[in-house]
Amino acid sequence: MNSSTETLTINWIGLGTIVRREAMRMMRVPIQVFLAPWISALLFIFIFGFVVGGRIAPIAGHRYLEFVLPGILMMNVVNSSFLQSSSQVYFSRFLRFVEETLVAPLSYVEMIAGSLAVVVARTVVTAVGILLMGAAFGATSIHSFVEFLFWIVAISVSFGLLGIIIGLWAKNFEQLNVLTVFFIAPLSMVGGVFNTIGMLPSWLRWLALLNPFFYFSSGLRHAMIGFSESSLGLGIAVTLALSAVLALLVWRLYAVGYGLRE
Amino acid sequence: MAADALTISDLRKVYRGGVVGVDGVSFRVARGDFFGFLGPNGAGKSTTIHCITGIATVTSGTIEVFGIDVVAKYREARRLVGLSAQEFNVYTFATCVDILDWSAAYFGLPKRLRRERIAMMLERFGLTSHAKKEFRQLSGGLKRRLVLARALVHDPALLILDEPTAGVDVELRHELWAFLQDLNAAGKTIFLTSHYLEEVAHLCRTIAIVNEGRISRIGPKAEFLGDGGLEAAYFAAVGRRPVMMASPDEQ
Repeated sequence: MNSSTETLTINWIGLGTIVRREAMRMMRVPIQVFLAPWISALLFIFIFGFVVGGRIAPIAGHRYLEFVLPGILMMNVVNSSFLQSSSQVYFSRFLRFVEETLVAPLSYVEMIAGSLAVVVARTVVTAVGILLMGAAFGATSIHSFVEFLFWIVAISVSFGLLGIIIGLWAKNFEQLNVLTVFFIAPLSMVGGVFNTIGMLPSWLRWLALLNPFFYFSSGLRHAMIGFSESSLGLGIAVTLALSAVLALLVWRLYAVGYGLRE
Repeated sequence: MAADALTISDLRKVYRGGVVGVDGVSFRVARGDFFGFLGPNGAGKSTTIHCITGIATVTSGTIEVFGIDVVAKYREARRLVGLSAQEFNVYTFATCVDILDWSAAYFGLPKRLRRERIAMMLERFGLTSHAKKEFRQLSGGLKRRLVLARALVHDPALLILDEPTAGVDVELRHELWAFLQDLNAAGKTIFLTSHYLEEVAHLCRTIAIVNEGRISRIGPKAEFLGDGGLEAAYFAAVGRRPVMMASPDEQ
């Protein structure tokens, strides 16, 4: 639908307005958006890191709480980014205010970039809150800030894109939760959040290596405490490849108008 | 010679699942015209509007707004068009000011110009005292006014109104008619769909009737106002007969 020559220019005011609108919508429900993940993270930190973790031997010289905190952070970044973009796209379709942007001189790239900018903003605020909680338990450390930033942004963008796809696909509220229940929650739980691969039975270890969540938690763990069970390069490659595939898919769905245009 | 406000050539829209929305529709709307687009439910009126504005994709054919292709040069074309949709496609928790501000900003208006245009629209549509109210708190008539104000906030040259007076009371309807006539007199081209034949007869200079996805009749209003008036012409064009109800006396 959109020609290539016109997508070369950028409607900055329109793009900024998508961000402004979504930020305002997000701030209407601060308990759901920020407080809920912070409380959930606090419970994880307290139970798994503090109460149970106190009885677990250090892993590679790190307290269990320090080991588990990057995984808890990863789970919340994944959830926040997915929920932000999926609900934004779904509700804009459900209430039909997506038509405001469809009739405006905005390109697909601007619409997608606007959504993702809010996703990243939400996850950064969520992540900072969790880091502060970790700090209260003496467990927060940053081994490499650049790596940390990369993982937060890369995970946010990947799951923001996945959320857009589900937001476009979902026909009702129930479908909106399908991916979280059957894919995100189980894979993140078995993705090395609470344990090392070495703790798994040997016949299950290959499965962990196929799980992208393993690379996310491993990468974040390396950025925070300098310990990783996977190759950093492989993790970055898997994450960038996943983002690229999802970005192409989202761009294609917008281009054909799937779920957006009649 | 300046291009027409709207030129549609052999427009065909087939929805997913194979339902044909419009099938080979072609017509022109002259600059400055007040154009009425009539037809029964499902005839293809909204589909045509959605194809012009980008809410629907075009299966085949071309649409030009003031000579600009709405697909190839969508940014340029969309800046010239304002749409007042049939249904309220609004974030219902936003205030009147936010709704107007966002819409103007999507069209690229800078902040200062937005402020001026929003104040003007609120004043013109009697919404100033409701500026900070959320959309869901407005009455049906105020909602309709706001949606019209939103369509005009970026000062489009072509205003498309999809049943703008549906569900509004007689007083507001007459107010809107007067406002639309003023706009048209000031040079804005207006494309109107409505189920109220008297509205189209009162406002429009050119009328097209669409039926089953095709244009069945088009011409100056005078040509439609022969024996039986617009209603007779309408029923003839759509191939139906009015169901006449017997009066209580006849019963």
